[in-house]
Amino acid sequence: MKHLKVLVLLMAMTAVIGGCSKSQPANPGSDETAAPAAAETSQPAAQVEEAPASADAQTGDLKPLALVLPRPMFVGTPENLAGIENLEKPLGKPRPPFMAPEGTVNLALNKPVTSSESEPITGDLTMVVDGDKEATDGSVIELGPFKQWVQVDLGAKSDIYAVVVWHYHKTPRVYFDVVVQTSDDPDFVTDVKTVFNNDIDNSLGLGIGQDRHYVETAEGRLMDAKGVQGRYVRLYSQANNQNDYSHYIEVEVYGKPVQ
Amino acid sequence: MKSGLNRREFLRTSAAIGTGLYVSGKALGADAPNKDVINVALLGAGTQGQVLMDALISAKEPGIRFVAVCDIWKDFNLRKVSRRLKQWESLGYRSTAYTDYKEMLDTEKDLDAVIIATPDFWHAEHSIACMEKGLHVYCEKEMSNTIEGARRMVQTQRKTGKLLQIGHQRRSNPRYIHCYDKLIKEAKLLGRITTINGQWNRSKESCMDIILSEKTPAIEQAVLNQYGFKDMKQFLNWRWYKELGGGPIVDLGSHQIDIYSWFLGANPKSVIAGGGTDYWKGHEWYDNVMAIYEYDTSEGPVRAFYQTGTTNSANGYYECFMGDEGTLVISEASSRGSIYREGWVEEAKWDPWAVKGYIDKSKGKLVAEKKDDAVLDVRESIPAAEYKISVTMTDPYHTPHLKNFFNAIRGTEKLNCPAEVGYETAVTVLKVNEAVQKANRLELKPEEFKV
Repeated sequence: MKHLKVLVLLMAMTAVIGGCSKSQPANPGSDETAAPAAAETSQPAAQVEEAPASADAQTGDLKPLALVLPRPMFVGTPENLAGIENLEKPLGKPRPPFMAPEGTVNLALNKPVTSSESEPITGDLTMVVDGDKEATDGSVIELGPFKQWVQVDLGAKSDIYAVVVWHYHKTPRVYFDVVVQTSDDPDFVTDVKTVFNNDIDNSLGLGIGQDRHYVETAEGRLMDAKGVQGRYVRLYSQANNQNDYSHYIEVEVYGKPVQ
Repeated sequence: MKSGLNRREFLRTSAAIGTGLYVSGKALGADAPNKDVINVALLGAGTQGQVLMDALISAKEPGIRFVAVCDIWKDFNLRKVSRRLKQWESLGYRSTAYTDYKEMLDTEKDLDAVIIATPDFWHAEHSIACMEKGLHVYCEKEMSNTIEGARRMVQTQRKTGKLLQIGHQRRSNPRYIHCYDKLIKEAKLLGRITTINGQWNRSKESCMDIILSEKTPAIEQAVLNQYGFKDMKQFLNWRWYKELGGGPIVDLGSHQIDIYSWFLGANPKSVIAGGGTDYWKGHEWYDNVMAIYEYDTSEGPVRAFYQTGTTNSANGYYECFMGDEGTLVISEASSRGSIYREGWVEEAKWDPWAVKGYIDKSKGKLVAEKKDDAVLDVRESIPAAEYKISVTMTDPYHTPHLKNFFNAIRGTEKLNCPAEVGYETAVTVLKVNEAVQKANRLELKPEEFKV
């Protein structure tokens, strides 16, 4: 695997909570440490590598990533979040800035999108990368039950520093088996690298994930891609705590084409 | 996967069971009563209709099959739900879509029940038409936007003998049932209930008007007008409009005020209330309401306060029942559920109920934390000790109430919120808006709660 050229670090930040100093967690959406490892690991179907750790990369000029967030909107009857395993506690405050190399942009905007379902239940696939992150019904695509994925073609091999995904934020909701991978292979058979995986029981057959379940909000989920390289980004999911469907409002992939 | 429910296993199982029941139903013959299979239509496929359908699919109830859906928003909600139903054909579901509910009732000959989740001002017409067609009805709350409409629903239910369940889903929530049956009635942990307060406050951001995305096809103007809506904005935000809905006191308060009457075993004898359209522009119904009810119960008078606001979410939503020996704080949100023993009540008096598993002593806070700057003040009471409610629920909130409805159709349970109960709550809640409007204390006579 090619080594990273750029170091991506979360902003060093110390929070004083309850009189104790607490360092910034590895996962920017959580105030807890990563989940304990699962007991067994099944072999994934494809050749998969974990994205390299930030510490392996080199230092560059870092700038806070400028994210444009949609209008928060929690409406309707609240949904029951009780009984969800491995659920992280909400951060309870705005996400701290994410530092990325200067010149980093959203490479996914208006790029071609393919999916496990050519025709979603609602919406069309272009909506996944159209820049519209609002929670309203017309801004979200819905895919059917079972394992589903959407895939963005960035157009060229790129250094990827962060993937931000908004599944749904009309109500607080938890999506299951969220796996995000990159590859240079549009079929995701070779050169597959995993950026995020909270499939705690390997339901998808892509390997057991170490990331935690999280509650969707208008902030979206920022996943640290640690400068991994790839042309394609594929996002899997399978149902949520409220229903059996997968949803995508927007996917952003922050990076720079490989020079 | 991840939550208590492994959906993939469920789907495989349900598909197998569904097929088996279908065959066994046929084997009984066309005239034989077959309650194994219950064919259901969804009338009103908006957000709440989808919540109910999702909750039912999650319920894993064998033999419950959606076979039709009706909604006037043909190019969006109707299409969406119809396409969702198509995903479940292996369970025996059908995805036939209608924009005219009368056509659906005339065409779908094998329907057994209808779930109604249309705007409140349609509930009476839709429910009555379905019951007169011989169908059981689960109707979302508020039972109707008018007392007269709710009254006609009760009368039709009696005339037809069909089941009519009103969607006050807390009535079937095992946590609420446990609190009422075990903690209040059996263990009498609250002593004599004297006071209630409750609230549902929502933040400003949660109460903004719903807007139509440019990418979403609207309903034709003629169709909107035909069904009583001025335009798409009113259609999407009907809860704010007089003649269509009842505002936050009805949308939110109704669920909780219903619990007041249930736990007290009484209807209120009066209500005073204040409220106004103080913050939001263009809303017809009051954006904040505070109400005080008086109840006469078998144990004495009770005063009950309720507030709902749409500008600040402080302390969220809960109901708090205060007795002379204890306090119950409960919410539909599963994370909130505690019972507090008044400081003067001996711990030993509550211990047997902890041993019996009714309350959880281990997760509570039996000794109040000392405050460094506090001094003993004889005017202060001894702090209450906290116990947790020992029953949890991981299902979607509406699932137990829907199950209760279908079990009632099968004859194995009684409805938890039949027409008469829904009517009593409708009267209790709709009278608040009247009290605000009249700026008067309203006397509520027992006969007003009867049909």
